[in-house]
Amino acid sequence: MLDNNAILEMKNLDVAYGHAKALHDVSLSLKQGETSFVIGRNGAGKTTLLKTIIGLLKPLKGSIIYEGRDISGLPPERISLGGIRYVAQEKKVFGNLTVRENIELAAYGLGEPMEQALDKVLGLYPKIKNFLKMKAGQLSGGQRQILLIGRALVGEPKLLLVDEPTEGLAAIVIEDVTAILSRMKGRVSAMIVEQNLTLVSRLADRIFIMKEGKVEREMAGRSAILDTRELEQYL
Amino acid sequence: MREMKGLMLKKEAEKTPGPMTDFLEFKRHLPKERVLLDLAIVAAAFVLLAPILKVQRVTDFMIFCIFVLSFDLLYGYMGRLSFGHMLFLGAGAYGGGLCIRYITKDPLLAILAGIVMAGLLAMLIGLIIVRTTGACFALINLAFNQVGFFLVLSVLRKITKGEDGLGVVPAGLGWLNLGSRPIMFGFVLFFLLLAFYVLRRVTTSPYGYLIRSIKEDETRVKFLGYNTFLYKWLTYVLAGCLAGLAGTLSALNYGYVNPNFMDTHRNVEVVFAALIGGAGNLYGSIIGGVVYMVISNYLAIYIPRWEMVLGIALLILVFRFRQGIWGYVRKKGAQRSISPEIGIEKG
Repeated sequence: MLDNNAILEMKNLDVAYGHAKALHDVSLSLKQGETSFVIGRNGAGKTTLLKTIIGLLKPLKGSIIYEGRDISGLPPERISLGGIRYVAQEKKVFGNLTVRENIELAAYGLGEPMEQALDKVLGLYPKIKNFLKMKAGQLSGGQRQILLIGRALVGEPKLLLVDEPTEGLAAIVIEDVTAILSRMKGRVSAMIVEQNLTLVSRLADRIFIMKEGKVEREMAGRSAILDTRELEQYL
Repeated sequence: MREMKGLMLKKEAEKTPGPMTDFLEFKRHLPKERVLLDLAIVAAAFVLLAPILKVQRVTDFMIFCIFVLSFDLLYGYMGRLSFGHMLFLGAGAYGGGLCIRYITKDPLLAILAGIVMAGLLAMLIGLIIVRTTGACFALINLAFNQVGFFLVLSVLRKITKGEDGLGVVPAGLGWLNLGSRPIMFGFVLFFLLLAFYVLRRVTTSPYGYLIRSIKEDETRVKFLGYNTFLYKWLTYVLAGCLAGLAGTLSALNYGYVNPNFMDTHRNVEVVFAALIGGAGNLYGSIIGGVVYMVISNYLAIYIPRWEMVLGIALLILVFRFRQGIWGYVRKKGAQRSISPEIGIEKG
């Protein structure tokens, strides 16, 4: 039975790379406006989970219900237009376009006026104004991540999927990324794959702990999440 | 159920004004004065070259430049290397040639027929070809080119006159006689400037950003809600139409069309020209087209195996000037305009 307050529900999802199964019978539910985190060791299936939601991988069985509609097997562009955005782990921007053109490309594709899209990104991180004319390929890793998150917010998304947003970033940049994610909290639902437990404990409303392609455990509520020592055993 | 969910998301997508609605919106990005300046520079360059290299030869150069521009839209901008682009040049040449032979001698209608012929062909085979990338894309294009070559050479011999080819003698354009070399020069220059203008507009619009982004990472473009297949197909058709224009102009300029216009071996010419000039830039295509034609026209007079020199030139380009002549010039220019303190472009 669909939870009326759920923005996303996955039911009995199996996903494989060729013959190797990566997700086994995964079922989970994410509520509207919630910031959820997915944690687990390497190979646990965290990235596979996000890639399946956005349509890069087709499930062998099971369903993905987004806002009451089954989106499993739809192509990524259709899922994006439906309001789900994906920020991949590799922090790849369109390096040959300027920062402004990167934002503009998203604005046109997702039907938001450019000025509004630009305001949204600048609102998140005003310093990016200095880099608008610069080729995005020349940005630092942290600036790229901020641009990617900002770009993902163009066009009023309802669900944001972010894969390892702080991986490989300097401490000061992690603070910037954390501040941006906390500003988004409550405004847009989010599912974030992350290993940084400090960030997880600061922002999470719900945590899915993955192990060997399964959701091993689910934790909800701030009080359950605040003890990071308990989470460490799953990393 | 699946159709229903598809329909619901489709309706949502239709509400969204994608880049199709702003297909050629470029005014904010490129001022009109800048476009006019570009056109003036290109026109002045060819007008200045004409008395030095002879009008007929420069006319030929300009037609080749249109062909390189069309190829570069696919390769330089969208990152799809084709080894079969001669198919569209040939289709345009035969489209125009057959129009003059069997329908009307009006050169403008012949050009339209050539563009339509190449465009329809690109529309049809593009549905298959743009689904592929890399070597597969290059070789499927080559395969279709080879099929086209044998069609005009033998299967359609009754219409195309096979190896002998067709004479293409158009009527005058009002009081203008296209048989006159200076008039043909002006006629071709007009179409070169038109092609340059269209491409300048297209490549600096959001559509231009889109195809450049497809070159970089197609999957990530899909994350922004774009149906990349549609845009790749449109680009393929546009490139085919422009190559068709070059083909018809070539047939009009030479006064005949034969299977050599579709010869697969000649695909290497356009690839070399785009690499020499610098792929992914309109000026690069023009420079590459002219340099290649100068080498092939003049070097052959002095060196019997001039292709060897071209090969060496290409090796130097690959190892020393990977972005071609124009890319190198731009790089040097950009280095001068970068402030060493903060590493941000001035202005």
